[in-house]
Amino acid sequence: MSANNPKSGLAPNRPPAWAAKLLNWFADPNSLEEVEGDLLEMYAYWIKTVGHRKAMWRYVLSVFKLLRPFAKQKRSKDYPEIYLFSLDMIRNYFKIAFRTLVHSKVYSAINVIGLSIGLAAAMLIMLYAKDEVSYDRFHANNPNIYRITFSSFTPKGVLEGQQGNTGYLQGPKFTANVPEIQFFARYREHTNDMKLGTSVKSQEIFQTDPDFFSIFSFSMLSGNPKTALKDPRSVVLSEDMAMKQFGTTDALGKIVLMRDPFDENAKFEPFTVTGVTKKSPQNSTIKFEVLVPLVVKQEEMNDNENWFNTNLNTFVVVRPDANIKTTESKMNRFYAADSKEAGDILAKKYNFRSIRKYALQPFTDIHLSKELNASNGLMDGSNPMFSYILSGIAVFILLIACINFVNLTVARSLKRAKEIGVRKVVGGGRFQLIFQFLGESFVLCFASFSCALLLVIAVLPTFNQLANKALALSYLFDAKLVMAYFLLFLATGLLAGFYPAMVLSGYSPVQTLYNRFNLSGKNYLQKSLVVLQFAIASFLIVATITIQSQFNYLTSKSLGYEDKNVISVDKANLTRAEYQVLKTELLRNSNILDIAPKNGGRWGTKAKINGDKEIDFTYETVDASYLPLLKIPIVNGRNFASDHPTDSTQSVLVNEAFVKKAGFKKPVGELLDFWYNNEKYLIVGVVKDFHYTALNEEIGPEVFTMKPANQYGKALIKIKPGSETASIHYIETTFRKLFPLQPYEYKFLEQENKKNYESEAKWKQIMLFGALLTIFISCIGLFGVATLSAERRTKEVGIRKVLGASVASIMTLLSSDFLKLVVISFIISFPIAFYAIGKWLENYPYRIEISAWTFVISALLAVMVAFLTVSFQSVRTALMNPVSSLKSE
Amino acid sequence: MKRTFLGEFEEVLLLTVAILGEEAYGVTVTQELEQKTGRVVGFSTVHTTLQRLEEKGFLSSEMGGATAERGGRRKRFFTITAFGRKALREVKEVREELWGSLPPETLQLMGI
Repeated sequence: MSANNPKSGLAPNRPPAWAAKLLNWFADPNSLEEVEGDLLEMYAYWIKTVGHRKAMWRYVLSVFKLLRPFAKQKRSKDYPEIYLFSLDMIRNYFKIAFRTLVHSKVYSAINVIGLSIGLAAAMLIMLYAKDEVSYDRFHANNPNIYRITFSSFTPKGVLEGQQGNTGYLQGPKFTANVPEIQFFARYREHTNDMKLGTSVKSQEIFQTDPDFFSIFSFSMLSGNPKTALKDPRSVVLSEDMAMKQFGTTDALGKIVLMRDPFDENAKFEPFTVTGVTKKSPQNSTIKFEVLVPLVVKQEEMNDNENWFNTNLNTFVVVRPDANIKTTESKMNRFYAADSKEAGDILAKKYNFRSIRKYALQPFTDIHLSKELNASNGLMDGSNPMFSYILSGIAVFILLIACINFVNLTVARSLKRAKEIGVRKVVGGGRFQLIFQFLGESFVLCFASFSCALLLVIAVLPTFNQLANKALALSYLFDAKLVMAYFLLFLATGLLAGFYPAMVLSGYSPVQTLYNRFNLSGKNYLQKSLVVLQFAIASFLIVATITIQSQFNYLTSKSLGYEDKNVISVDKANLTRAEYQVLKTELLRNSNILDIAPKNGGRWGTKAKINGDKEIDFTYETVDASYLPLLKIPIVNGRNFASDHPTDSTQSVLVNEAFVKKAGFKKPVGELLDFWYNNEKYLIVGVVKDFHYTALNEEIGPEVFTMKPANQYGKALIKIKPGSETASIHYIETTFRKLFPLQPYEYKFLEQENKKNYESEAKWKQIMLFGALLTIFISCIGLFGVATLSAERRTKEVGIRKVLGASVASIMTLLSSDFLKLVVISFIISFPIAFYAIGKWLENYPYRIEISAWTFVISALLAVMVAFLTVSFQSVRTALMNPVSSLKSE
Repeated sequence: MKRTFLGEFEEVLLLTVAILGEEAYGVTVTQELEQKTGRVVGFSTVHTTLQRLEEKGFLSSEMGGATAERGGRRKRFFTITAFGRKALREVKEVREELWGSLPPETLQLMGI
C-alpha cells in the first residue's frame, strides 16, 4: 500500500516520497486509499501537462491540503448503530419493566414486600453498627486517649486475668514519671445523697480529676473547662440536671447540697456550680449528670498499698508522637520499682503474689471490648457478639428476600419466554436483554428501597428499645450511611437481578418460539434455593424455641428461697441500733410479717480452713431472722439463735457448696480462720444451697456471719400477700420518719430477680422477630413459586381429573414436591442448629437440656406453615374444572 | 426539505459528475472540470467537495475494483442520486425562470 510501489507504471515519475508518507500517515483514513490512488494519477497527468516541477508542487500542495491528522476511522455503516446505553433503550427498559411489574401484581408485591423487609433489616443493622463503632470518637484528643489497664500473672507467669480498673496512684504517679503521658483523669462512679428542694434524693455522681475537660471534649454551656474542677467543692452539672435543680441552665455560682451516704458522720455540704455542660452524647462511654472533683486524702496517696486497688478508671493522654510500647514499658519499670516494698508487705499479709503488667487501652476500644470492658461508671459496654448476631439475622433476611426474587423471576420466565424469543429474533442482543432484566430488578429494588425507608422510620423506636439504643432518624442521613445505603441498593439490585438476567437472556429463540417449549426441567437451582430458605428459617425457629425455653427456665426455676412478697429497702450504714428501731416500728403493723437485715451489695472475702487451705466465698452479714424469712432450710446443725449470745462473734453458717469445696465430712464444728485479722469462727450449721445471685452464675461457697463490725445495708421486709399498697405506704412513712435525710427506695425482690434476665429477654425478642420475618418472607416466596408451578401444571391436572384423579390426590401431588424440599432443609439446618444452641447454652451453668422436642416442634411448625402456604394454591388448582383448563390449546 | 441550496462550485461539480456518468471519480472529475471550464482547480478542493456532496446526499459513492495502474488502489466512483438530480433541476428551473422574466430590452442590451 505504500505510495512508491515499484510495480506501478509511474515508477520513473514518482512523487516525492516524504509527501507520500505524510499523506499515508495523516490523511483521513476513511478515504486514504482512493486519495492516494487519485493523487498518483493526477501527478502523472500534471507531469504531462505542466511539467515535473509544477507537478511536484501541485502534488505537495494537495497532500498538505488533504491532511486530516485528527480524523478517525469510521465504523462500518452497513447496519444502524445500537448503543447499549442509548437514551431510548434505557427509557424502553424502564417502560417494559414498569409494564411487567404492573401486569403481574402478586409477584411484584411478593418481591417488594420481601425485599423491603430485608432492606429495612439491613438498614437498621447498618445504623446500629455505625453507632457501635462511632462510640467515643468525638473526642478531639483521639487517638491519644488511653485507659490504663493491667494483666495479672501468677509468679510462674500464667495469665490470671485482665483488669480495666486501677487505683488512686496509677494516674498521678505515671503522669509524673513517664514523660510521654501528658494528662490523667481518674474517673469513678459514686452515689451521693443530694438535696432537691426539701427532699433528699440518691443521685449517681461521678468523681474525676481537674484535667477531665482537657482530655475529653464535652462541650460546656458555661464555665471554664480548664478550672471548673480545680476546687474540691466545685461541681459541674449537665444541662438537664441544672434544669432539674434550678429550673435554668444558667446555674453558674449556685449551690448544690450533697452528702456521701457511706460516711456515717457526713453532713450536707455545699458544692458550687462551676460549669454546665451539654447533655453527654448518646454514643459516649462517659455520661454524667453530676461531676465533682475526686478528693483523695494525702495519706491514701502516700500509702503505696493503693497501687493494688482497682476501684476506678484512669484515663491518660499520651503525646501524639509517643511509641505506645515504649511508654508501656516505662510505666512497668516505674511501677516495679515504686510498688516493690508495698508488694512485699501484701505478699506477707495476704499471700498476694500476682504480678501485674500495665498496658494502655485505646479509649475508643473500650465500648466493644469483652475482657477490658466499660465498668465502674463507664456506660453502655457492648458485646460485639450482639452486633454479629444482629448482622447475621439481617443478612439472612436480605438473602432470603433476594432468593425469592431470583426464584420468582426464573419461575415466571416461562411466561416471558416468547417475549424473549421475539426480542432475540428482531435483533435484541444478549446484553440488551440482560440490561432489560436488570432494569426490572432495579425498578423493583427502588420501590422496595422506598418502602424500606418508611419501614425503618416506623420501627426505629421499637428497635431502639430492643437494641438498647437511642438512634434518631437524623442518623439515617449521614453522608457515609447514605453512601452505604446506595451501595446496598446497588448490591441488592445486582444480586437479585443478575442471575435471572443471565438465565433468561440465554434462551435460544428457536426453542422459546416453538409451541411446546417447556422450561420445567429439573430446576435444581430453584429447589436448592427453597431448601436454603427453609434451612435458615428452621434454624431460627429452633434458636427461638431454645432461647424461649431457657428464658422460661431461668425465670421460673426455684431459686431455693421464697422471693414472693419480699420488699427490699436500702439504707446505707444501717447500724444495729437503727435496725432495731426500724424493726419494732415496722412490726407494729399487722401487714408486716417479718423483717431481716443484710449487708448492702455483695461482699466476698477469704479464709483458711483445715489450717492452711484458702477458700474464697461470698460473705453475707445477716441475723438470725434472715434464713427463716426467705424460707431457706438448714440441712445440718442450727441457725443463729438468740440463746447463743456468742454466735455473733464466734459462729458462722456455710452453704453446701462451701462444704463441698472445703471437703468437710462433718462440717459442723469446723473452724474458719480469717488469718489476716486474727479471727476464728466455728461453723454451727449448713444452709441448703440457694441462688443468692442470678442463675447465670453457679452457686459458690457462701458464709453467713453476724459479726457486729460488719454493717447492714438493707432490710428485707416480708409482707402479707395482697397488702402491697398499704404495706408500701406504711414502710415509706416509717422510713421517712426514722431517717428523714436518707433517700428512700423500695424494690420487690421478685421483680429484681426477673431483671437479671433482661438481656435474655432481649435476645428472645430479637430472635423471635428474626424468625418471624424469615418465615414470613420464605413463605411468600414459596407461595409465589407454588402459584407458578400450579399454573404451569393446570393442563396436567385437568387430564388427571378427567382420568379420575380425586381432589385429594391432586393436592398431595402438588404439595408434596414442596414439602419434600422443606424436609430436606431440616437435614441441613438441624445439625447446625444443634451445635449452635449447644454452644450458646454452655454460657449458662443452669440450663435446659437440648430436647428432641425442640426439633420436632420446629419441624412440625415449618412443615405446617409451608403446607398452608402451598395448599392454598394446590386446592385452587385441584378444584378447577378440567373443561376450562383443557378446552383451548 | 426546504429548497436546496447549491454553491456555484458544487453545482458545477455535480453537473460534471452527471456528465461523466459511470466514470466519475476524483481524477476524471478534476480533469473534466479543467478541460470544460478552463479553470485550474486543485485536486484537494474537488475531493473535499465531492465528499461534502455525498454527505449532503446529492451523490452516492462506491469503491470500484482493484486497478493495475495506481498501485492496486481502488477508485471511489461517484454517481448522482435522485436527490442530486432534483437539486440540479431545481437550480436550472430557477435560472430559466429568472432568464424568462428578463425584459426583452435588457436581453437585447446584453446582446443575446
